[in-house]
Amino acid sequence: MLNIQDLKVSYDGALILAGVDLDLLRGDSLAIIGESGAGKTTLGLALMGLGEGRVSGRVLLDGKDLTTLDEVARRRIRGKEMAMVFQNVEDALNPIMTVSDQIKEAIDVHRERGDPGYVGDRVRRLFRAVGLDEAKGRSFPHQLSGGEKQRALIAMALANDPQVLILDEPTASLDAVTKAEITRLLRERMENKIALVITHDISTAARLTDKMAVLYAGRIVELGDTQDLLGSPRHPYTRGLIRSSPNMTTPKDLQGIPGRMIHGVSGCPFSDRCTQRIEICSEAVPPLVEAGGRLIACHRGGIVPLLELSRVVTRFGGLAAVDGVDLTLYEGETIALVGESGSGKTTLAKTVIGLFDLAEGEMRLEGEPLVRRDRDFYRKVQMIYQNPKESISHRMTVLDAVTEPLLIQKVGGAAERIEIAKRVLEEVELSTDEAFLKRYPHQISGGEAQRVAIARALVLNPKLLIADEPTSALDPSVQAKILKLLLDIQEKRGLAILFITHDIALARKVSDRLAVMLKGKIVEEGSAGGVTTAPIHPYTMRLLEVAPDLDPKSRGMSGPWAVPEGPTIRAREF
Amino acid sequence: MHVDVWHEVGERNVGRAGLLLIGLIVLLAIFAPVLTPYSPRENTSTQAFSRPSADHWLGTNDARQDIWTQLLYGARTSLSVGFGVALLSGFISVLVGGTAAIFGGLYDRFWMRIVDATIAIPDVVVIILVAAYLRPNVLLMILLLSALSWPGGARVIRAQTLTLKERMHVSAARTFGAGWSHLLFRHIVPDLAPVLVAIMIQDARRAVFMEAGLSFLGISDPSVMSWGKMMQYARVFTYLEVWKWWLLPTGLALSSTLIGLSFTGYALESALDPRLRDRDDHAEGGV
Repeated sequence: MLNIQDLKVSYDGALILAGVDLDLLRGDSLAIIGESGAGKTTLGLALMGLGEGRVSGRVLLDGKDLTTLDEVARRRIRGKEMAMVFQNVEDALNPIMTVSDQIKEAIDVHRERGDPGYVGDRVRRLFRAVGLDEAKGRSFPHQLSGGEKQRALIAMALANDPQVLILDEPTASLDAVTKAEITRLLRERMENKIALVITHDISTAARLTDKMAVLYAGRIVELGDTQDLLGSPRHPYTRGLIRSSPNMTTPKDLQGIPGRMIHGVSGCPFSDRCTQRIEICSEAVPPLVEAGGRLIACHRGGIVPLLELSRVVTRFGGLAAVDGVDLTLYEGETIALVGESGSGKTTLAKTVIGLFDLAEGEMRLEGEPLVRRDRDFYRKVQMIYQNPKESISHRMTVLDAVTEPLLIQKVGGAAERIEIAKRVLEEVELSTDEAFLKRYPHQISGGEAQRVAIARALVLNPKLLIADEPTSALDPSVQAKILKLLLDIQEKRGLAILFITHDIALARKVSDRLAVMLKGKIVEEGSAGGVTTAPIHPYTMRLLEVAPDLDPKSRGMSGPWAVPEGPTIRAREF
Repeated sequence: MHVDVWHEVGERNVGRAGLLLIGLIVLLAIFAPVLTPYSPRENTSTQAFSRPSADHWLGTNDARQDIWTQLLYGARTSLSVGFGVALLSGFISVLVGGTAAIFGGLYDRFWMRIVDATIAIPDVVVIILVAAYLRPNVLLMILLLSALSWPGGARVIRAQTLTLKERMHVSAARTFGAGWSHLLFRHIVPDLAPVLVAIMIQDARRAVFMEAGLSFLGISDPSVMSWGKMMQYARVFTYLEVWKWWLLPTGLALSSTLIGLSFTGYALESALDPRLRDRDDHAEGGV
């Protein structure tokens, strides 16, 4: 049993680990993930007693505090009770010793008297256990491939059957196939041990471990069951990490996390990069507390729901165009609302923004019920429209259009408004020279007009952007650029986007979650990856079947999602 | 769609004639002090009922006043009342019609019933009665005529605003948190301008006519010089030859003003309504 209590490590006065608490039992496997510099390796080294810098706090192995032991006692434990596989396979092996001699050495140092027979036997068994040819044992490290070196290192760590195994980036420099083999090997060897996997590679961490801790600037910000944590990250940093790591599950384009990690930020360590920070975030360090089956350190209790719709109904006369919609949009997230024309997508959007009246149900913004839409509401929620040229008055120049929201909201003086407008125009990659600012909508291209519309929506710095088919009037190449722009802006500002489209192929590229709408109801909702690869509702299947596909064989007739016509028709009666 | 309405009005003969007539009368009214050495009430040394001469282009009346001078100053009154009513009544039309369309609901219904009621009242009778009682000066005349002429315009403006407010740029402005005044004056009125001007010209024409009529009946402020009043005085002396240079020019001036306004309004309306547009006029295609 390994208990880590308030472990702190500082180098030259800089706190690299700022108080880590972990309790691990035999059989537990925990991934420590985070960006480089988060303190992951420092944690591993501190546990091994190899770290430089000042260490405080307690590391209890079966109740025995390792931090109070002297170096001789530590050495006895190191390699025997606790072993570590180091990050750099090239440097971790001694280049002038054969591999099997190095493994023998690892066994020998922890034995009283030499018994060559036992050691030789043990080495052979280790070679078998890590899938390495015994003949390779006589090789020098430079004669081995990366994968073989990694196996040798693992064999070394396992030499004395330690109770605690610490793996620091165990697969970092390996190719995909070798990585898969090593991962499988590790998974087997980690059984019945306390395993700590330190990595920035989330997919490896996901394969190797049952639990996962997210380390940021020396603090654990989120800790929970691996599957659960990756499926629904609750800390904004965790979500950022997942968004920025390439994988086969998320169809959305990669997005980074704005800013840079700085140690020693006052308050919450992530506060300067967080897009949902409030005052307290930069004042006090949030404690790691249990919430919904996992531990999370966030003053706001994790990613906050920005817009909550419950049983929303919009009626035109007797007809319910939106018929009881439940939807929750979280801060910084994109939900794509997909469905055919007439399914109520735009009506729902216009109900949220207040262009249509809510007939029944409730809408909440940042937890507050939406009753009256005053100016403050429109500072938080903005909308961009399908046809950019029509959404900008033909009597307004680019500058007039972009400053109009500021004028309405009475922001600053004329000069300040122009300044803000120019800044936002730059953000949407438009020219800010006088000639362009004086152009009228009919004098600019459709793509430029949509950028102006986006700039105009962003100028008030909203938290929620409703994009109603923002690219359907544009050419494919322009559409791609506009979508990229929206994703970039989301990354930078942490904007939540309600993205309305009839194109499910487009929706999966831009959204975290997908909601399929049919006849005023949401018939299926889930992660963009889940909904597009394993749809449940027949209508979703139908949408996927007719979605744009570059494979000429499918011809929209019988793709992998083809369903008989029958259920589709029944689905329309929902 | 960009159609330069004003350009089209100028292109039409009717429109050109109308604008020319109004322009001429406006110039005469503005430069009245330059165009005559007399003041309208001045009793000149010339004999009463004298024939037109170099000193008195239209001769003198019974009180030895210069008729040409009176005609010029009368134009000022007519045009003041016309423009005043056009502006005030147009403004009220926009305010009531526009807000009714924007807000809708009970507010809309309330104002539209007021409009219905006002239109149903025979305004000539009301104006004659009120004017006879108040003896209105120019300002009061403007208020009185405006009070009765805005409802027709309000109805048209409301209908136009109802379609304009569905335009996407108006919706967009609403979602920036714009209030009704911003929507109305920044987004709707600019698009409404040609229609509004047509309404205002109509109002002006009626106002000029009503003012002349009331003055002719002698129920306006006696101190105000006006064409209607001139005709009322001249009418007494129709047995003399003086009507030729007293009554006739005054009638022609009034008619010209009314015709000028009518022609301009007519040209504007046909330019606005594509169905009334002459195809040959428009062969080069829109702008």
